[in-house]
Amino acid sequence: MSKLVLKFENSVLKELSVGAKEVSIGRSPDNGLVIDNPAVSHYHARVFNEEGRLMLEDFGSMNGTFVNGQRVKMVTLKPGDSVGIGKHTIVVTDSREVRASSLDHDQSRPAAPKINETVMLDTKERRDFLQKVAAVGESAQVAPTRLKIPTLVVLEGRTDQREYVLNDKLTVIGKSAMATVKLRGWFAPKAAAQINRREDNSYYIGAADRTPTVNGNAVGHPTKLASGDIIEVAGVELEFIYRD
Amino acid sequence: MVNDLGSRTDAGRVRENNEDSFCIAPEINLFVLSDGMGGQASGEVASRLATETIVAYCREAQATPSSAMTGARIAGVSDNSNRLASAIRLANRAVHQAAEQTPEQRGMGATVVAIWLADQRMSLAHVGDSRAYRLRGETLEQLTQDHSFVADQVRRGSMTEQEAASSNLQNVLLRALGVDPEVQVDVDEHVLLEGDTILLCSDGLTHELSDAQIAGVLGDAEDAQDAADRLVDLANQAGGEDNITAVVVRHAAKPAGTFARVGRWLKGSEVQS
Repeated sequence: MSKLVLKFENSVLKELSVGAKEVSIGRSPDNGLVIDNPAVSHYHARVFNEEGRLMLEDFGSMNGTFVNGQRVKMVTLKPGDSVGIGKHTIVVTDSREVRASSLDHDQSRPAAPKINETVMLDTKERRDFLQKVAAVGESAQVAPTRLKIPTLVVLEGRTDQREYVLNDKLTVIGKSAMATVKLRGWFAPKAAAQINRREDNSYYIGAADRTPTVNGNAVGHPTKLASGDIIEVAGVELEFIYRD
Repeated sequence: MVNDLGSRTDAGRVRENNEDSFCIAPEINLFVLSDGMGGQASGEVASRLATETIVAYCREAQATPSSAMTGARIAGVSDNSNRLASAIRLANRAVHQAAEQTPEQRGMGATVVAIWLADQRMSLAHVGDSRAYRLRGETLEQLTQDHSFVADQVRRGSMTEQEAASSNLQNVLLRALGVDPEVQVDVDEHVLLEGDTILLCSDGLTHELSDAQIAGVLGDAEDAQDAADRLVDLANQAGGEDNITAVVVRHAAKPAGTFARVGRWLKGSEVQS
């Protein structure tokens, strides 16, 4: 009788015999062989006996099933074959001859290069995950960004306006033509600092030709702005607020 | 605009195939890097198709500003940024269609990171876990946020940086080109200052090297090509477990001017003597 040995890196996680009943492999807990990893599809593949031969079938999984390094759809398995699913390996053995040496030998088979390969979450898995992500993101951001307009108010210094609404992904403070907050004066830098809107609609200020301060602290790395923060850079003082 | 450019890609020391690709169009200051995935040779197909589609579209858009856009216009960014997002959406479709039509290429996909420079403005777009870094002065900044499972966990606070770095789920992506008919592209803009060095790289580089090592090489290198070569060599020395690609752009490159040339000449004569 054939046996499947589930391994992760060097450790054996599980051993399972394949009898008359097929063994389904996947992430869902109702599989015969459960591999709990996002790279594995819910119902990924199955191993079954047919006319005395041990067969492996991939269910069209997202990230594939590999036998000795080759992606497969349906193949006959023989003792010594190494089945790669995600980062896990299933070694096929004849249950009469399970010896440590045979396992060691199997490990050196060429399935290894596949182990670190980049994978995507399975489609359904990813959809669920992204929905959850979106739900969390929305509820967390209702307060500061909904219906409120991010604004810079000039408290001190020479600029071309008293107030600036931050509509753009990039807001430059400086003398350059691309600057939104236009500085005046001979010695004003072209781009003193930049403010970026990130994908989650938060705003980060970072250094350009000058290092700005936020509430008196120098900004080494981009720093998230909160309503009421006071920014000083190149001789101007600005307040960042979310307007109603 | 004068830029000093360097690039290098290498299969690494473990993989037989190199599934990374890059494509640069210096005449329009466009730089694109992609890391492919998929069995057999399909990862290479995906990353090459992605980079070539993006560059072809942007060249066309530059020549014909009235050419069609793909997908919704992003508010609050420049035309170039919108073009770049459009190009990436188009590349996504190209990879997706190729994957659907060819059974051996089923499930193939690719990451992408691209920059397009115009005057002082840098448009930056990405999907997946290939990254852009900027060295300004001595400060290295990672400009992209990975669309990976572990990076997302860190952003949510349910995993620490250390846990993420040692996680066995590092290779799980949340977004990639070619997987679905549509893809969400992250687009950003940055100011470009004289002396800024931008690095585009695949995860084969960032898994092997720390930020301090990257900053050190970018700061010390003679020019952009030297930086790209040294980054790839260093990643190989650290293990080279994955394909490694680095594209380095030094803006309005003062270091490649007279001083650096004299410096190199002096070095060269030292070696000879």
